[in-house]
Amino acid sequence: MRLWSISLRNLRIRLVATVLTTTSIVVATALYAAILVMAGQTEQRYKGSVGGYQAVIGPKDSSQLELVLNTIFNVGEAPGLFPLRICEDLRAGRGVGRRAQVRYAIPQARGDSVSRFNFPVVATIDEMFSKFEREGAPLVFERGGAFTFSYDDLQALARELANHENGRRAGEASPPSRPQLRKEWKQAVIGARVARSLALDIGGIVVPVHGKMGEFGFHEHPEAACEVVGILAPTNSPLDSTIFLPLGTHLLIDGHEQGVFLVETPPGKNPDDAKKLPVEPGGIGLTAIVVDPKDHFGARFLRQEFSAKDAQVAWPQDVVPKFLRQLGNAADALTVIAWLVLFVAAVAIAVALYNTMNERRREIAIMRSLGARRVQILAIIAGEAAVLSFVGALLGVALCHLAAFVLRDLVEDMTGVYLDWLQWRAWEAWLVVGVTAIGATAGLLPAVKGSMTQVADNLAQNY
Amino acid sequence: MIRLHDVHKDYAFGERRVTACDVGDLRIEAGEQVALVGRSGTGKTTLLHILAGILRPDRGEVEVVGARIDRMSEAARDRHRGRHIGMVYQTFNLLQPFSALENVLLGALFGRGAGGEAKSRAETLLQRVGLGDRLHHRPSELSVGQVQRVAICRALVNDPELILMDEPLGNQDRTTGVQVLDLLLQMARDGNKTVVMVTHDPESAKRMQRTVELETLRRPA
Repeated sequence: MRLWSISLRNLRIRLVATVLTTTSIVVATALYAAILVMAGQTEQRYKGSVGGYQAVIGPKDSSQLELVLNTIFNVGEAPGLFPLRICEDLRAGRGVGRRAQVRYAIPQARGDSVSRFNFPVVATIDEMFSKFEREGAPLVFERGGAFTFSYDDLQALARELANHENGRRAGEASPPSRPQLRKEWKQAVIGARVARSLALDIGGIVVPVHGKMGEFGFHEHPEAACEVVGILAPTNSPLDSTIFLPLGTHLLIDGHEQGVFLVETPPGKNPDDAKKLPVEPGGIGLTAIVVDPKDHFGARFLRQEFSAKDAQVAWPQDVVPKFLRQLGNAADALTVIAWLVLFVAAVAIAVALYNTMNERRREIAIMRSLGARRVQILAIIAGEAAVLSFVGALLGVALCHLAAFVLRDLVEDMTGVYLDWLQWRAWEAWLVVGVTAIGATAGLLPAVKGSMTQVADNLAQNY
Repeated sequence: MIRLHDVHKDYAFGERRVTACDVGDLRIEAGEQVALVGRSGTGKTTLLHILAGILRPDRGEVEVVGARIDRMSEAARDRHRGRHIGMVYQTFNLLQPFSALENVLLGALFGRGAGGEAKSRAETLLQRVGLGDRLHHRPSELSVGQVQRVAICRALVNDPELILMDEPLGNQDRTTGVQVLDLLLQMARDGNKTVVMVTHDPESAKRMQRTVELETLRRPA
């Protein structure tokens, strides 16, 4: 028999009070751990996911944060469109890209999604899988490989679409026919989480939905149903939740005809008039271009000299830390709340134990009469508080991981942050130690009261 | 074994002080079995608590098992009590949530330690008093006589030199109580232990080797 076994027995006797008090510790610890996990994973995710995205070009009428969040983290709606011409200039080293030498400039268009999970569809070109590098290495395929839709295919398709559109706008009796969606473009590359959630494998079919399923105006595009040709290895980044389709498929989806070309409304003209103006292949609308400058000088020129009236360049390495600082402030506020909850739980322990001291006077007096010193009585009672807190803290941390497991998909959909529920962190051990220490400290007040019990007076009582 | 000289203890009730114990001289030798008798309110239990080190006299010398406990700190008296003194109360004072064996081991825990050796000693004692098949029963599952025997085992588990008893036959079935008391006295004799029992019951007192009237110990006014 040991002192702690007396503490345990006492807790067992007051089972209901023990369970209720422990629950308050569990909730407080879980809340605190959840805030730290969320803040940590957010930082890790946002810092870790920007690797590969040196610069992102997007429409000028959006904020840089909006652009970065949507392009890299799949958060929010695509903030608008800007012309393919910007991408052509960057790649050809002319216009806005004159001195901004780039290793790659990969056009992207968003707006569709797949399934009730609303996995975002990113329409792009095959360079996303051959040139784009994440943390210094191209994306790795777990199974299959990339689809075949090159930048040249995009340019050719843009010309065909422009010819068709110009013929139509000119009111020609038989304008050039609209290009058809080729079978070889009806291919998709999917992220690891998409494959897992939708139980998709190579050969599986994904059907894009315009907008998001369940939202007003959403509709499926069965004509653009694509066969899965590649599944990316898990990256622990938003790429895992992304579906990549060829840009050609996106441009040829029914209903996208009106939004394919961007035409500037001339001064003094009605926007409807712009629908009659001729279009150019470079007027095809994109939502983003993922850019990697060739070198330091390329980056500097891009930063200093990129100037387009309808597009802007955002630097994730600049935008994300600012965003994280703002998130950090919110996390700090939540942390204060968690501390308060923890404090209330500690007070609950103190009150629960304190209230038992009167009924335990005789028990304490008996132990004292057997030779127990005051400090031993103090240790037994504080030990009860420590055991409560320790068990509560352990369960709280476990609850946090359980919540991360249950809510990970929901949180990722809402925030772009993937909760790695299996990841254990060193601070969790310190949290358990800290909560135990706080609980034991809270138990000191009733422990001191218990240790001050008058032996002779309480032994004399005949119960 | 026990030597008291000029021991005095008052209790304060507001402005008023009431003398609870007043002993001139008392000596009890090792191995003696002594009954301290007196009417209710003569300070029997207070004296017992002073001998146990639970109370400290306001003045006087108290030597118990070779130690001047009146000079000791409270913690030292607690330690001394745990190691050298076994106590049996009228109400037995067992802890209800603990089994018979655990109650006996509690005595060891605060005495000489509740390791494996103490456990086997506790089991042996309980078997010796006929409770070998009741080791894991709680006090509420035992008869009054069995509870009393558990209390005796707890008092003996540290193999103390001195056993203090406070009205051990209190308000229970006399036949059973006397049997258990005789058992304890026999065990004490076997171990050459000193026994001091406070009682107002002449029947119980007769079973001891010597009876001391508390009133006779009072110092002349």
